[in-house]
Amino acid sequence: MATESNGAAFSRRDFLQQLQGWGGTALMMAGMDALGFGIASAATAPPDLTGGGGGKKVIVLGTGVAGLTSAYELSSAGYDVTVLEARDRVGGRSYTARKGTKLTELGGEPQVCDFDEGYYINPGPWRIPYSHRGYLHYAKKFKVGLELFNNENEHAYIKFDKGTGPLAGRPVRKQEITADTRGYANEILAKQVRQGALDAEFAPGDKELFLDYLRSEGYLTKDDFKYIGTDGRGMDENPGAGLDPGKPSTPHKLTDILHSQTWRTLQSVGSLDMQHTMFEPIGGMDQLPAGFVRNLKPVIRLGHVVEKISQTPEQVTVAFTGPDGQKGTVTGDYCVCTIPLSVLRGIDLDVTPEFKEAITGVSYALVCKIGLQMKTRFWEDNHQIYGGHVYVDDPGVNVISLPSTGWLGEKGVVLGFYPQGAAAARVSAMSLAGRRDYALWVGQKVFPEYTESNDGSFSIAWHRVPFNMGGWAQWTEEGRAKYYPKLLEPQGRLYLAGEHLSYITGWQEGGIESAWSQISKLHKRAMATA
Amino acid sequence: MRRLAASITGFGALFGAVALSSAAQAQTAGATLFAQNCSACHQLTGLGIHGAFPALAGDPFVVGDPTKPAYVLLHGRGGMPNFSEDLSDADIAAILSYVRSSWGNHAPPLDAALVASVRGGGAAPPKERSVLPGH
Repeated sequence: MATESNGAAFSRRDFLQQLQGWGGTALMMAGMDALGFGIASAATAPPDLTGGGGGKKVIVLGTGVAGLTSAYELSSAGYDVTVLEARDRVGGRSYTARKGTKLTELGGEPQVCDFDEGYYINPGPWRIPYSHRGYLHYAKKFKVGLELFNNENEHAYIKFDKGTGPLAGRPVRKQEITADTRGYANEILAKQVRQGALDAEFAPGDKELFLDYLRSEGYLTKDDFKYIGTDGRGMDENPGAGLDPGKPSTPHKLTDILHSQTWRTLQSVGSLDMQHTMFEPIGGMDQLPAGFVRNLKPVIRLGHVVEKISQTPEQVTVAFTGPDGQKGTVTGDYCVCTIPLSVLRGIDLDVTPEFKEAITGVSYALVCKIGLQMKTRFWEDNHQIYGGHVYVDDPGVNVISLPSTGWLGEKGVVLGFYPQGAAAARVSAMSLAGRRDYALWVGQKVFPEYTESNDGSFSIAWHRVPFNMGGWAQWTEEGRAKYYPKLLEPQGRLYLAGEHLSYITGWQEGGIESAWSQISKLHKRAMATA
Repeated sequence: MRRLAASITGFGALFGAVALSSAAQAQTAGATLFAQNCSACHQLTGLGIHGAFPALAGDPFVVGDPTKPAYVLLHGRGGMPNFSEDLSDADIAAILSYVRSSWGNHAPPLDAALVASVRGGGAAPPKERSVLPGH
């Protein structure tokens, strides 16, 4: 980090780690904010672009949510906006694959999505946290319908093969692991407290309240603080009508849970971007881009691949190859470029060597997904699992996610794998059929109906997708310090924007808020020189 | 042929180590491991894809000092992931030996001990890996 020069000094990193140790992530984040990391500076509304920039001309490159946000806000404010998009569709990674969707990865076979009419997978972003207020702002503004995305399902399975003992290698309901792990943990802690081992921790009156909490949290027995199970872990027989009170289940042994490793799925509270309430757009992730397009004044020029960005002190020129192969240029007062850095590094740019180096200073995530269309919704009909994730410890799959749409319907599309990093490199090296067979091979070990139900698939390896070359920007601490600030500042008349220029990387919210931040800077300058 | 070799290995072996017992088997294992872990980007031809993924055929970096490409496999670089937790020293040695002797490359092989020396301090400490994927 740039500020670390004295070995004896207490570095910012040390400080933050200490804060995390003392007070958890919340205190660390407050500390980060105080140190200027800006993590708590999330915007909640578009910038005020009053004045309209005197009709100045802005070229927007890319039509992911960052490009669409920039184009919409600038054109609404009175700028003369031209939008270039390399693909024959808008949306970038905000993408939905449905019947007929075509994709050919670099070095890959041509693929046409073979789902039935009305079924789809979101191969890129797929869930919208409640804290992503920029996304929700535009969803509301453009009347893009949302539905709940079930990001946590207690009744779903955990199937971990790498652990040992009787709970390894077989599907176990998450509710059993949650109830038993917490029950035993609270029982053990209660025992210590009641024996007086932790008296030094308590102020007068705290101890009884703390014990009340442990009993409530762990479903412990009233008088002797034992964990003997609870209905929430599931019943051997559910209660029914008349004389049928049901039959309680028996907890697993603590040692079996510990050695199965399944407890690794438990957290006291979901991380900030993974909590309830989570949304998804009704009809697919491409619905917000469609909402922008319905409300956008400028016509988007599709099939325009940027070849070069050059500039003079007065203007910026973008050279492109058009849809029919002809070359052309467009010139404006400013350019907002939302092309991912993984792609931008290969484009001829009129920028300083330092800026060029900064563009190459970040790596992009290797990440794969596959949608598997299933003939029946066996996870609902036979397993009573409605949405949510099945966790597996095969890094080539990570999660099997059940759809949060089309409940109780005929068919459904399951997310069959979501590997990242080195595991994604491996999955993406398989043929399309090989990827499908691999996903089915893993899923079959959880659901006996899996393979025979499959009747369609669509897979993607984002690091091999032209015009993306990766899932999202992955800044290191060093890159954040050395390169990131450079890219936030304009190069002449060129402004960069996108999820890569945010602390919300890999989320659409990062693209939207980055666009807000950058066009706000552009507007201030345009107004100052108008 | 190499694609076939990868497919007959089966999914069970895909995320496990490959046992090595002879130089010939090491070469086969190197080809298989390359196909499984590297070919998505660098391609089975070793030619990469221009403008996207670097070619390894004829690349002075991969046929030069073997500790340097070993370092890249252990730490990642640019868009390339870090394989340190996914591949053993023997796997990495087999892959690099294959790359250094294929597609017209003619550089000597390397052994697991050399990769271990680059890794330093024995096996990497297990990273606290979340089982809950982000994003």
